[in-house]
Amino acid sequence: MKFQIEDVTVYFPYDHIYPEQYSYMIELKRALDAKGHCLLEMPTGTGKTIALLSLITSYSLSKPQSPIKLIYCTRTVHEMEKTLAELKLLHNYQIKHLGPQARILAIGLSSRKNLCVNPTVLAAENRDSVDAGCRKLTASWVRAMAAENPNVPTCQFFENYEKAASAAVLPPGVYTLQDLRAFGKEKGWCPYFLARHMVQFANVVVYSYQYLLDPKVAGIISKEMQKESVVIFDEAHNIDNVCIEALSVSVRRQTLEGATRNLNRISHEIDRFKATDASRLRAEYNRLVEGLALRGNLPITDNWLSNPALPDDILKEAVPGNIRRAEHFLHVLRRLVQYLRGRLETENVEKESPVGFVASISSHAGIDQKALKFCYDRLHSLMLTLEITDTDEFLHIQTICDFATLVGTYGRGFSIIIEPFDERMPHIPDPVLQLSCHDASLAIKPVFDRFQSVVITSGTLSPIDLYPRLLNFHPVVSRSFTMSLTRDCICPMVLTRGSDQLPVSTKFDMRSDPGVVRNYGKLLLEMVSVVPDGIVCFFVSYSYMDGIINTWNDTGILKEIMQHKLVFIETQDVVETTLALDNYRRACDCGRGAVFFSVARGKVAEGIDFDRHYGRLVIMFGVPFQYTLSKILMARLEYLRDTFQIKEGDFLTFDALRQAAQCVGRVIRSKADYGMMIFADKRWKRIIKGLSSQKEISKKSPFLLKAPKSHSRFNINSTVFNSS
Amino acid sequence: MNNGGGKRINGGTEEDDDEDDVNGDLDAWERTYTDERSWESLQEDESGLLRPIDNKALYHSQYRRRLRSLSSIATAARIQKGLIRYLYVVIDLSRAASEMDFRPSRIAVIAKHVEAFIREFFDQNPLSQVGLVTIKDGVAYCLTDLGGSPESHIKALMNKLECSGDSSLQNALDLIDGYLNQIPSYGHREVLILYSALSTCDPGDIMETIQKCKKSKIRCSVIGLAAEMFICKHLCQETGGIYTVALDESHFKELILEHAPPPPAIAEFAIANLIKMGFPQRAAEGSMSICSCHKEAKVGAGYTCPRCKARVCELPTECCICGLTLVSSPHLARSYHHLFPIAPFDEVPPSHLNDPNNKLQRNCFGCQQSLLNPGNKPGLFVVCPNCKRRFCLDCDIYIHESLHNCPGCESFRHSKPVISNEE
Repeated sequence: MKFQIEDVTVYFPYDHIYPEQYSYMIELKRALDAKGHCLLEMPTGTGKTIALLSLITSYSLSKPQSPIKLIYCTRTVHEMEKTLAELKLLHNYQIKHLGPQARILAIGLSSRKNLCVNPTVLAAENRDSVDAGCRKLTASWVRAMAAENPNVPTCQFFENYEKAASAAVLPPGVYTLQDLRAFGKEKGWCPYFLARHMVQFANVVVYSYQYLLDPKVAGIISKEMQKESVVIFDEAHNIDNVCIEALSVSVRRQTLEGATRNLNRISHEIDRFKATDASRLRAEYNRLVEGLALRGNLPITDNWLSNPALPDDILKEAVPGNIRRAEHFLHVLRRLVQYLRGRLETENVEKESPVGFVASISSHAGIDQKALKFCYDRLHSLMLTLEITDTDEFLHIQTICDFATLVGTYGRGFSIIIEPFDERMPHIPDPVLQLSCHDASLAIKPVFDRFQSVVITSGTLSPIDLYPRLLNFHPVVSRSFTMSLTRDCICPMVLTRGSDQLPVSTKFDMRSDPGVVRNYGKLLLEMVSVVPDGIVCFFVSYSYMDGIINTWNDTGILKEIMQHKLVFIETQDVVETTLALDNYRRACDCGRGAVFFSVARGKVAEGIDFDRHYGRLVIMFGVPFQYTLSKILMARLEYLRDTFQIKEGDFLTFDALRQAAQCVGRVIRSKADYGMMIFADKRWKRIIKGLSSQKEISKKSPFLLKAPKSHSRFNINSTVFNSS
Repeated sequence: MNNGGGKRINGGTEEDDDEDDVNGDLDAWERTYTDERSWESLQEDESGLLRPIDNKALYHSQYRRRLRSLSSIATAARIQKGLIRYLYVVIDLSRAASEMDFRPSRIAVIAKHVEAFIREFFDQNPLSQVGLVTIKDGVAYCLTDLGGSPESHIKALMNKLECSGDSSLQNALDLIDGYLNQIPSYGHREVLILYSALSTCDPGDIMETIQKCKKSKIRCSVIGLAAEMFICKHLCQETGGIYTVALDESHFKELILEHAPPPPAIAEFAIANLIKMGFPQRAAEGSMSICSCHKEAKVGAGYTCPRCKARVCELPTECCICGLTLVSSPHLARSYHHLFPIAPFDEVPPSHLNDPNNKLQRNCFGCQQSLLNPGNKPGLFVVCPNCKRRFCLDCDIYIHESLHNCPGCESFRHSKPVISNEE
């Protein structure tokens, strides 16, 4: 359908539009007009993605004199593919109505692992080794060597791409990763480098958060994006955590051991070069003296992850003298590793600010702040000089340099925490040194500054006023839309008491109470006997889940549950969990019925959909607060209180709420779906009461479940949870 | 996990959470009245007397909706219908069937309505046959073989109503698939599953069984008594059946009776096919002969197969000796109307009745009752689109559901020359 929003004709590929989609588009358009940032919340299953895409492409089409570029960031490759598929549909529709002038170029960009078509490289199992495998075939010196000696293997696809040079372009259209690979295979061009090249010409680019937020990656991928771009962060409810992770480093004992091995190897290489090609090292030294930019004039394939600090904070200076020579730099690194090892041997938990830490390094190891700051770039340069291609082997020393550079650059918003053992398992020594970032606004600030409009959107952003404070920006539009339902297809309930009228909760002092455990078991048992197909249960942590399942097993509740449905459990092992999920789906398909026990904040809660019959009911046992004794969380809370005046309780509740909303939101992925949600904890009542935007309905959902009669004895309040 | 934060959050207001309990203080017996809202089905009339709500109009509109949905399929193009049906009714006697959410229990309700269904089925499809299968303890049993006698099925069912164990869809389908494979190709193979359980415990891959059913052209329909299950939906979609879930007893009755009229024939089956049939004569009263179906001597009231002269007790059936299909002509006639349904009557708003032009007919053509309501207010009535006669709602239902002939059109047909003269 085609309609008008103010001065923009919107092309929408479907015949019907939901009212909330329409108002979403209006708000979005206002934000684009104002060239400002915005924050929009709309529940999942209402067609957020297509509303976004069709408005922005139509907006761009209606203003041909100043075309805007769309940068769409997703969390996973799967979401990227879904977005591109939607865009393809939209694009076909626009071409049908507007003709060839509506043509755009839209590409998805992902890592080599997802784009490579070279079978020998693809055989590697993880991302880092695929990257290294590619580098081994395409590094500039390898290719130079291959020119002389035809026995040196190179990548045929990359050679063809290089040969085609500027002729290697993608014709307009929408390319999913699959399409890119197919196109690359057909033409014999490397899809990865082709896509990276085309990013600057494309109208729409879909890629992962990291490409904008993580300064290491953003420096090489996203530096050429124009200012007139609209950046969209989809499913952005966890964006603050992504920002923080991008700037956090943790160092363990294995990292240090690996780093020592790496240093030995490097020194070996240096000796070899000294014997054979000493001029090379001298040339590097001279370059460093002149303070030449390390990047820029290098061939595209020799690019690595760039500096972990944000672009504004990198000094445009020459590398300091004490680390210019390769041997000297190596000594500095050895001293640093030695120092860190010493720090890890502590018996107590230590917390320090970066400033104090740097002072301590300089007095104990004799490395000053400036040298630390340049560690990463210096290592990068050294490895290029030494022509090291198997970069996946050198991850440990990279981590150390990463750490050094960040610690040298930032004095505020970070802290260094050394824990000699895991809080929950005090007998097993597992020392870890963490540089943790507390300020989510640091990593995202360059994005807000650089681009005209940044749209942060998700199904769950409430309370919506917290995000601008966490990320430190001023949205021109900040709105939350509710889903319009034509029928009662969701039935959320809060359960505060068990069948014996005792309150249930996972509060620390109540969680191990046998009465609570029994009541939770009874609840699940009653539900498995009346709910068809799949049920998903979320617990607050792995340890709690293990404990409660053990008790259920001892008291025979688990056996009774198994009479009705099969039981599958998420574990920390990815392979095991994948297998469990697969079998869970099969059990739901074939009508046996199944229960999946999972953990809030786990992999399953974040990324796996339990739509349709895979999840007719979700039970949230307890309130998923973070582990509040964690030193990192405490440090972050303190920082938030001091810097942004956000109360600890507010932040924790907000965080628990968004996690819970994510968990229960897994079951409803579209308006045609239906399901029931139970929040089983007495604290939910107050938390939900605290939400201003809640609505009360008492009607049960139709065509679904007949709650057993005994359930009316449960103290159940039906409440629509606007975020679900 | 959350002791610290939890305490901080809960610390301030440690109130107890049971201040608002909406109907917690009602006793169980009070609550049943609250739930049923029996007072709402009463209405006050002009003189202030209480009387039950007149839900005739409501009922009629429901019926018309159903009629329209049926006829929209039927009249669009003259669709071939499977008149000779071989239907297995599967009754789930697993643990779940003893649940009490239907009063007095699911199984009692099922039994009651299956009985009604079987009678209605034979009434509408006299040429068809029914068999009963039950699922109990994960195993499917054949209760009665395919046969044309409603009484024997009902009797067999009423004796076996204990429920236990799990339910297995695959076992039931496998069993039925074996039976239905043997029937002749002109017959329409159907399964109606009345499913109480919420899961199915199968020995193998049920998807294969579903494909097998699809291949042997068995139309599987399911009526659920609990909640929608994916596998049932999948089964019905694959085999072209209907999947419905009953909300309450009256809904269940409605759903099961929807399966009585013959469904449209499957396309591959719709080739015209000649079937050899015998029309046996009724034996003279008082004559004595050995009946071929019960193997015992019987006096009077039997039928003689025209080919082998064996005696059978009931029609329709297959002759046990020569295998000929034996029917009587009324059976054929009763099946015939499904092919040529009467068009639904048009509803006329009551105000038309007072139109001076339409003064002619103030009585229903069918029952000759006045179309006016007691208070001389005009009521709802309908008009046949062909003969333009008016009928009351009761006659409308009677004509469409039982009579299958419009009295108005029939009376015109007898005076055909008059019509042609008029034209």
